[in-house]
Amino acid sequence: MKSLTQSIFLEGGGHAVLLLHGLSSSPLEMRYLGRFLRDEGFTVCAPVLNGYSAGTGGETMEHWLDAATSEFDALAARFDRVSICGLSMGAALALALAHRRPQAQAVVLLSLTLAYNGWAIPWYRFLLGWAYYTPLRSRWQYRESEPYGLRNEALRAKIARSMQRSNFSEVGPSTIALPALHEASRLASLVRSQIRGIRNDCLVIHAIDDETSSPRTAQSAALALGSTFLRTIYLDDSYHMITSDNEREIVARETASFLRESEAASGSGEPRSPVVSKALARRLRQLAAIGKDDA
Amino acid sequence: MPGTAFCIAAVLVQYHFGLAPALTVMLAGLGLADYLFVPPYVTIAVFDRADLLLLVSYPVVTLVLITLLEKLRRVQFRAELIAAVAQSRYEMLLRHDNERAIARRAIDETHRLLRHLSHHHKTFILIQALEREPLRRNGAGTASALAVASHAFAGLPADLAPGPRLSEVDPDDIRRLSNGLSAGSHRVRFAAGSNLAGGTARVVDCICEQFTTHAGDFLVLRVATDT
Repeated sequence: MKSLTQSIFLEGGGHAVLLLHGLSSSPLEMRYLGRFLRDEGFTVCAPVLNGYSAGTGGETMEHWLDAATSEFDALAARFDRVSICGLSMGAALALALAHRRPQAQAVVLLSLTLAYNGWAIPWYRFLLGWAYYTPLRSRWQYRESEPYGLRNEALRAKIARSMQRSNFSEVGPSTIALPALHEASRLASLVRSQIRGIRNDCLVIHAIDDETSSPRTAQSAALALGSTFLRTIYLDDSYHMITSDNEREIVARETASFLRESEAASGSGEPRSPVVSKALARRLRQLAAIGKDDA
Repeated sequence: MPGTAFCIAAVLVQYHFGLAPALTVMLAGLGLADYLFVPPYVTIAVFDRADLLLLVSYPVVTLVLITLLEKLRRVQFRAELIAAVAQSRYEMLLRHDNERAIARRAIDETHRLLRHLSHHHKTFILIQALEREPLRRNGAGTASALAVASHAFAGLPADLAPGPRLSEVDPDDIRRLSNGLSAGSHRVRFAAGSNLAGGTARVVDCICEQFTTHAGDFLVLRVATDT
C-alpha cells in the first residue's frame, strides 16, 4: 500500500496542474493523465493529501481542503499559472479549492461527484448517512463491487484480482470507511453552496453511463457554474473512472487542449490558435448565439 | 369516473416533477376522490360497490399512465444524453479539424518558403526568424538556428541570418533593418564599390515577405528585381 500512495510530481513548463484523485484513493488513478499532460508541456503534481488519500488516516473535510490549499500554494509560489483538475470527489475538492483560491487558471471536473446517485448505487444508500450516527460508524465499511467504475472488461478483471489480493488497486481501495463518506457528503454540501461563485475557466467531462454519479450532477453543475469559459464533454464508452477507462485518451487530450486554450484566452500563454475551419467558425457562432439567448 | 380529475393531476405532476410526487398525488387523490365524489358524499365510513370500483379502477388507470410516462421520460432523458455525446464529439471533431487545417496551412507555407529559397536565393539580403516566446522553446527554436549563421556576420542580431547580398548593403541600413523589419516594400542603400551600384551608392527596391511555417515565422528580405 505504501508504494501505491506516493505523490506524483512531473516537472514541465510554467503552467502547473494540481491533480486531485478520488475519495480514499491514490494519485495512481491520475497517472495516465499526469504523464500525458507532462508530455504536452505542463508541470503535474498529484499529491497524497493527509486524511483524504488512502492509508493516511481519517480527517475532516476542512483538513482535506487545507492540505489541497497548501499544495496549490506551493505550486503557485513556483509557477506562473496553476490549474486544478479533480476526479470524482476530487472534482468536488477542486471546486472548493477554486472557491478558496480564485486565482487558479482553470478547473477541470472529471466525473464530478456531489451525490452518490449513479445507477449502481443501491437504493438504501441514503441510510449510510444515518448509520454514521450509530456504532456502525467505526465498524462498517462501504465495499466497492463490480463494475469498479470501469466499462473496459479486461481492465475490470485486472482490478478485481488486484482488490482481492491487496484490498487496493490503481482505481482505488476495495472499501471506504463510513466517516470518509460522511465527510465527503459535507464537502459536497459545501460545494453546492459555493458553486455559483466560481468564475474560473471550467471543463466538465462526464460519462453518461457513470454508475456512481449521475450525469444530472454534471448538467446541474454546468448550469450553476459562473464561468464565462465553460466546456462540457459527455462520454458514452466509459463508466466513472474516466481517467482509466476506454476513453482515457480523449479525456487527456481534451484536458490538455482546454488548459492551453484557457491559458491563451487569459493572454498569458501562446496566442490562441486561429479558427481556420469554416465549420468550427459556424459552430462557435451558433454557441455564441445560444449564450446570448440564455443571457 | 370519480377519480378522473386526480388521475389527470397525477399524470401532469408525473410529467413535470417525476415519479415520487406523482405517486403521492395519486394516493392523496384516492382518498379525496372517495371522500368527495363517491356516494355517500363527505364520509369514508361506508364501503360499498362504488368504493370498490374506485379502489380498483383509479389506481390501475393512473399507475398505467404514470408508468408509461415515466418510461417515456427515461427514454427521452437517455436520448438527450446521447445527443449531448454526439454534440461533444462533433465539437471535438471540429476542433481537431481546425488543428489539421492549421497544420496543413503551415506545411503549405513551408513549401512556399522552400520554393522561394530555391528561386530567389541569389537576391537574398537577410532572413529574420520571428519567435513569439523564444525563451519558452529552450533555445531549440528558429532563432537559435539562425544565430549560428549570424555569427559569420559581425554585429548581426542572433535572430537574423545573412543572405548573399547582405555584404553589399550600407551598414546603417543593416542596423535599421535589424531593428524593425516588416513585411512589404523597402528601399535599401547598397554601398559604393559594389557590383550592383557600379562604384557609387545607390538605392535599390527590395521586398520583404513573411512565411508562417510549422517551424516558426520568417521574414525574408530580397532585392525586388534580379539586377
